[in-house]
Amino acid sequence: MNLTYNKAYSELSKLVDQIEDDNIQLDTLADKVKQAKELIELCETKLRTIEKEVKTALTDKKSTTREKNRS
Amino acid sequence: MTKRLRLSELVNEIEDAIQNRFAGETFWITAEITDVKKQTDKRWCFLKFIEKDGHLITTEIKGVFWSNTFYNIEKFEKLSGQTFASGLEITCNVRVRFHKRYGIDLEVLEIDHTYSLGKLELEKQQTLERLVKENPTLISLVDGQYITKNKKIELPIVLQKIALVTAPNSDGQRDFKQEIENNQYGYAFSVSEFLTQIQGDNSSELIIQKLKLIEAEKDKYNIVVIVRGGGSQTDFKPFDDYELSKYVASFPIPIFTGIGHDRNTSIVDLMARQHKTPTKVATSIVDHNFNFESEIMDFGERFFDAVENMLEKAKDNLQQIKRTVKAYSPTTILNKGYAIITSNNQIIINPKDIKLQTEIKTILKNELIHSTVIKKSKNELDI
Repeated sequence: MNLTYNKAYSELSKLVDQIEDDNIQLDTLADKVKQAKELIELCETKLRTIEKEVKTALTDKKSTTREKNRS
Repeated sequence: MTKRLRLSELVNEIEDAIQNRFAGETFWITAEITDVKKQTDKRWCFLKFIEKDGHLITTEIKGVFWSNTFYNIEKFEKLSGQTFASGLEITCNVRVRFHKRYGIDLEVLEIDHTYSLGKLELEKQQTLERLVKENPTLISLVDGQYITKNKKIELPIVLQKIALVTAPNSDGQRDFKQEIENNQYGYAFSVSEFLTQIQGDNSSELIIQKLKLIEAEKDKYNIVVIVRGGGSQTDFKPFDDYELSKYVASFPIPIFTGIGHDRNTSIVDLMARQHKTPTKVATSIVDHNFNFESEIMDFGERFFDAVENMLEKAKDNLQQIKRTVKAYSPTTILNKGYAIITSNNQIIINPKDIKLQTEIKTILKNELIHSTVIKKSKNELDI
């Protein structure tokens, strides 16, 4: 679990470094925004749910978003 | 035949003898106490003073605190952080009393706190010195701070899986869990409880056993919390135990303690990361996770700011390009009254390319003018 927090942390700091570098290509932006959003969301969810609940919480969230999109 | 005395006559004589020798006199003694029986409601305390030769008790006499001196016991407990109980050595001022039915005893008038506390402090100091001396790889004393292997373990970035060692139904257990479960950020924690008696003779051994259970499954926990409950409970002698302190210093998972308080710090507190109360242990765990979340949020903010800047810049660039393109477009030029001249569908840039009698097309905003060149001359207009 902590490995994932650590990984999320280092990934995010890497993304921030990349994005703050002016030489970044615009066409990779969408992908990076998606990655950053996912990492932050993962951390937020994990902080508020104990490990065995994380999976269910994430699946729940996805399915509710999907339902919203459908309607 | 010798004269027979009634019991009371003999006892009266004993009483007289004692009166003659001890009346009005008080004595300072230093002795171990045992069989301590406190009657808190009446504010009495009965005990025995003993002296030993090895394990053998060689001298023993009853002692008593009455309500007018009972505050001495409370003061001792407050100052020392220890229960006034058997096994302590105290120095006190006493008066010898005799009662025809209850016999002889020593009435305690005053405790010499400086001596009694000094003795306890000395024992603690000796344990600490021994810990440092016998375990140089685990414990060292640097600038008045005890550095231990346990304290040097880096804390995981988030603390979520907690092993809690405390007494069942204690204030410490309740305070800690309340603070953790109702934390203001809504963080989730899993608290595995390892409950044991933490006061009394073999408590340190019981605590060690619980810690061993935790160590056997050390991957399941981020942190171990040892808390002791309640303001009224003062006995933390088990937490000054050599073996327990040594084990805590070497423990492979970071330990947070909430055992001692302002005036009294136990040795176990010194071997681990100490917090003042069970509640403060809990808030420091919550704060640790909040720090992590704040950093993640900061990253997020920086990230999305940078993305926004970048898109804004790209938009500006595009706008600039659009303006330039528009400024140079033929429509803009024609709208302003300029004309384009073509010959054989080629735009004439160099007038030398036009020969006399050639047919040319002048393109204006709404019309084309067809003409034949009849004369060419140098442009002397001042435009």
